[in-house]
This record gives sequence, structure tokens and C-alpha cells, in this order.
Amino acid sequence: MKRRSLWLFIVILIMLLNCTPVSAVSRVPYHTYNYDYWEYIYYTPAAYIPAGNVSGTNTGVGAFSNPQDIFTAEDGKIYVADTGNNRIVVLNPDMKSGRVIDSFENNGKQDTFKSPHGVYVTSDNKVYIADTENFRVVVLNEDGSLDRIISNPTSEVLAEDFVFSPLKVVADYAERVYVVAKNMFQGIMAFDENGNFTGFIGTINVTITTYEKIWRRLSTKTQREKQIQFIPTEFTGLDIDEDGFVYATNIDAKGKQSVRKLNPKGQDVIKKSKRSVSGEVPLSGDLYWRMQGDYSGASRIVDVVYRGNGIYSILDINRGRIFTYDDEGNLLYIFGGRGSQEGTFKNPAAIEAVGDKILVLDAYRGEIMTFSATRYGNLINKAVSLRYDGDEASAVELWKQVLELDSNFELAYIGIGKSYLAAGDNRKAMEYFRLGMDREYYSIAYKRYRDDILEDNLGYILTAVVVLAAIRIAVSRLRKVSAVKAGRRPAACLRRRS
Amino acid sequence: MLKKEKLKYPFYVLFHPFDGFYEIRHREKGSVLVALLMVFLFGLSFSINRRYAGFVVNFVNPRSVDTRSEVLGIFAAVFLFACSNWSVTCLMEGEGRFKDILTVIGYSLLPMVLTLIPATVLSWFIASNEEGLYYLVINAAAIFTVILMVIGIMTVHNYSFGKTLITLFISFIALLIIIFIILLLVYLLQQVYMFFYSLYTEIILKL
Repeated sequence: MKRRSLWLFIVILIMLLNCTPVSAVSRVPYHTYNYDYWEYIYYTPAAYIPAGNVSGTNTGVGAFSNPQDIFTAEDGKIYVADTGNNRIVVLNPDMKSGRVIDSFENNGKQDTFKSPHGVYVTSDNKVYIADTENFRVVVLNEDGSLDRIISNPTSEVLAEDFVFSPLKVVADYAERVYVVAKNMFQGIMAFDENGNFTGFIGTINVTITTYEKIWRRLSTKTQREKQIQFIPTEFTGLDIDEDGFVYATNIDAKGKQSVRKLNPKGQDVIKKSKRSVSGEVPLSGDLYWRMQGDYSGASRIVDVVYRGNGIYSILDINRGRIFTYDDEGNLLYIFGGRGSQEGTFKNPAAIEAVGDKILVLDAYRGEIMTFSATRYGNLINKAVSLRYDGDEASAVELWKQVLELDSNFELAYIGIGKSYLAAGDNRKAMEYFRLGMDREYYSIAYKRYRDDILEDNLGYILTAVVVLAAIRIAVSRLRKVSAVKAGRRPAACLRRRS
Repeated sequence: MLKKEKLKYPFYVLFHPFDGFYEIRHREKGSVLVALLMVFLFGLSFSINRRYAGFVVNFVNPRSVDTRSEVLGIFAAVFLFACSNWSVTCLMEGEGRFKDILTVIGYSLLPMVLTLIPATVLSWFIASNEEGLYYLVINAAAIFTVILMVIGIMTVHNYSFGKTLITLFISFIALLIIIFIILLLVYLLQQVYMFFYSLYTEIILKL
């Protein structure tokens, strides 16, 4: 009996020893991953972990109903377009309390909103509201008084029966306003500071493949009418950086490019990374997806947030993932998922960033999901920011720490390699560039390395050449001499020929 | 087993393709064994090149290199091509026998066998704007191989150049047909197997 209880004790002890405490990161309800140079998925430590949900009820403004947009102003206040309740909610930076904007004074009369889908706040706290079903964009001053209203755009390029239903709105430092409107396939509508429509920017060209052309030619007229129209996709989300570049997302069924960076002229100037074996990293989220069933198809990108220092994140409604890119178009980390646990989404509608936090607005749940950066995420953000500022030397220390957490992170190897290259340690630089799969910089390092070796050993090489030449001459002399001495065949041959 | 002159003969063919291939067909100078050795060496050096070519020119994921399947795959491809070419030229008054075709393919791979590994070594010493040199070597060898193969097929079958190209094109189609028939056969055999297997399980469960 005693012996048995001893055994039991040992077994329980072993079981207890196996129960290592579960760390916070391993309770994250989604995977964090990335794609390497070979386009393999590799799982990384969590870059962001869930940090609680914020709903309308626990901020004292009443539950949200189908909210569609969120924006963080420069003073840290968070503006939510509470579409179903026809109001704008302004949360304080701590997200514990807030106020409501549901009406404003318009020519002496009280005016209200009707299903506002978008909200944007400038640095001087002017609030731009895409008042969708009132067919106008309302601009309010900081004190809530009306600044101006943008409605009824008129132009030759707009159809007679065009109805202006704005969905998303942003404004740049010069008060030019960019609007994504419902059923507007020609691009983002741009307005000048007086509210006059000036034209479209960022028009997406339709591409028809040869196969589709042939198929259309073969089909009859009635068949052709039933087929899907080849129209460009609509834009879905907007953001603007401090230099006035507009970041815009659209839904790309092929999964090639769903985010654009438009300069004030309306041209797409986004950088696409070439760091991939297939030549170009698609700027559209996932590389692989199921062909049918749940969560199938290419990532459907619904919103973008510019997070400063060239970093931007895009939100995929299809699988609920957030993809973060740097200014060169390299993927930094991918996280998020759909589900009903804390930190997963039902119907993500908009994304924002405040400090090192990422906020995602879930329209179905009417909640704001917050995510806070882990040490891993923070290190990457800081290192990329330093690189963006041109301070690659101080980024090296951070890259080394990133590699301690994730030895597959290729950008870190390149960052460290560049510092070795600058320090003149070409051999080390070559090794790091090879690990970072950067052929261009590897070649630079290799050429310097090769030149160094040649230079250092030039004396030996030249000596060897001279010695070899001398030996050759000596040997041929010796042969001739010995042949003549022996009086052998060469002479006989000559004699016979003559 | 292999005589020294048989082993040396591919090098003679390399620079005297017309005479060389003629003597393979009519004076039994060739050897199927040597040809198979060439195919094996080609498969090996091909795989070595994929795995060990220098970083600047190597776009092959090392995780995807599998020497055994690559060598076997090249053997299968050579055998399939020889079969299809033989079946076509038989009907088009070609004089070559199956073993001649096999020998021609094997011997004409010699330039690739000779250059792939030196090119691999060369690729360790080049930087990104010098890769032209590496590709020049590889492509020159590949073109040499193709020329040798065309001359070889032409000579052993006693064809004109035009007819050679036509038969090569037809044998390519024949190749696809062979693959199709093999797939069909595998599928049908699977069906037969499944039939007997279900019969077997039925009997076992009923008893």
C-alpha cells in the first residue's frame, strides 16, 4: 500500500512538472506568420496580442449599431462612425468615456446624419463625415458648428443620374478632399478646398485576359449580357499620410494588388517588393487560399491605415487578417483571424492605429478590438522606422534582437549585413546577405571581398606568373638542347623533308 | 565489360557528329551502356548544379532538390522520348533501331555532362552583373546538345534535315499520347483493383 502511494506521488509529480505555465502569447487565438523568400509560410512569435474589446456600452455612449469607420485624431481621440445609430461617437484616448455628435446647426435649423459610413479628422480637429444617405460630406469645426457641406458634384464626366453617396472620406493638409463613393468605379473623387469636384484619382484599369476575350467572342449576345461585366473594382478604404499621399484599398479578386499609394496627381507610387523567388511580392495579403468553401478566395482588403515611417497595415475581411508592410513593400508580420473569441473578428470593417496599438472595428459585434505590440512586434516596428529615417546603424542592435526571437526574419539579416558592409567586413556581410536572400547587396559585398583578396595577393600572383613563365622557357630550352645533343628524330625528320 | 574505346567514342562523336553517328548505326561503334551512363551522369550533374550553383545564379529552393527523383525523372524522360521517336520513325522509313536512338540521345548529352559541373564551380566566383558568363557556358552546352541530337537522329535514320524536324515534332505529339495512355491505363487498373478489392471485402464481411 505504501509503495503504491509512493508511485502515485511520483506520477502526480511528473504530471505537475509537465504543466509548464502557459504564457500569454500561446493563448493568442490566431497564428502570426510571414512568407519567406521562397514563398513558404513560416510561423513567427506573435507580433500583436489582443488587449481587450471596447464596446459602446462600456464607454457610456450606448451600444454601437453596425459601425463602419474609425479614425484616431492627432490628439488621441477616437472617432467612430456609428452608422446604424446615425451618429458619430468621439471616445477619449483612454477609451473609457466619450461623447456623441448626432446633429449640427445648418442655416439656423437642426440637421442630422443618415447612416454615416466614414469619418476623418484633420490635425486642427475639423471632422469630415461621409453622410451617406443624405448624399453629402459634412465638415464640422472642432466646436461642432458647421464648416461646409460638399454635395451634388457636377461635371461632364459624371452621369446625369449619378447619385453621390460617399462612403469614405479623407482630406489633406491643403483641405483637398478625397471621397470613395458608392457605385463609383472610375476612381476616388477629388474635391478642391471650395468643395468643387475636380476629377478622379487612382483609376484602376480593367485587364481582360486573352482567354476571356476569346470566350466573349464565342458567346452569343444574350449570353454576353448574362456574363459578369468587366468593370473596375470599387475602392474600399482610405487613409492619408503627412505628405498628402492617399493610401487606398480595393478588392482584387486575383489577389495581386489591393493597396495603392496615390500621389496628388493621382498616380500609384506604391513600392512593390522584389524579394521573392517569383519576382514580385503581391500587395494583397495572402499568397495561398482555398478555392472553395469557408474562408476561400483571395484576401478581400477593406481598409488601410498608414502608421508612420512608411509602415502601413491592411485589413482582410475574408480571413480577418491584418497584413503589415514597410515602405518597400516587404511583409513585416501577419496576424488576426475570424471567430468569436476575444481578438478575432466577425465582420471587420475598419482599422486604425494609435501609438503601438492597432484598433480594428468589428461592424457585426459593434466593438473595437484592440491589439498591443509584443516585444517582437515593437522591435520590428522600431527597426523599420530607423531604417526609414536612414539610421541603419542604430537599427542593427534591434535587428539582432529580432533574430533572437525569430531567426527566419530576412530583413533583419539584410539590415545587419548592410552594417557589416559599411564597416568593411565583407565576408560577414556576404554571409548575412546570403541569409537574407539579397543577391544585389551580396554581389556588392562579394566584389569588394574578391578585390581585397586579389589586392592582398597581387605580389604572390605576379611572382607565380613570372616563375611559371621562367620554368616554361627553361624546360623548352633544355629539351631542345638535349634533342640536339642526342641527335635524335627532329634532326632526322628535317633531313628527310629536305 | 566496357572497352576503353567504347568509352572514348562519345568524345569522337562530339567533334565528328556525322561520321560518329553513322558508325554507331552501321559499324556498331556505340554502346547503349555508355549512353545510359551519360544519361545518369547528366542527371547527377543537373542535380548538383541545382543544389550547388552559386548564390547569385541559383533560384532553386534547396528544399525542393531531390537527386534520386531528378535522376530517375531524366531517365524516364529519355526513355519516353526514345520510345516515341522510335514508334514514329518506324512508320516513316527511319533506319535507326531503338538502341541507336537511345545511344544518340545519351551521347549527345555529353556537352552538358562536361560543362554543368565546371559551370557550377564558375558560378561560385561571379557577382550579379557577371552572370552572363555563366549562362553563356550553360546555354552554349545546351545548344551544342540540341545540335548533336538533331544530327544524330538525322544520321541514324538517314533523313533529310526537314524530315528530321517533322519527325521530331510528331514524336513530341506521340510523347503526349503515350503519357495519356499510361495515365488511362493506370486509372483503369485502379478501377479493376478497386472492383476486386470490394469483391474481397464483400465476401469477407458476408462470411
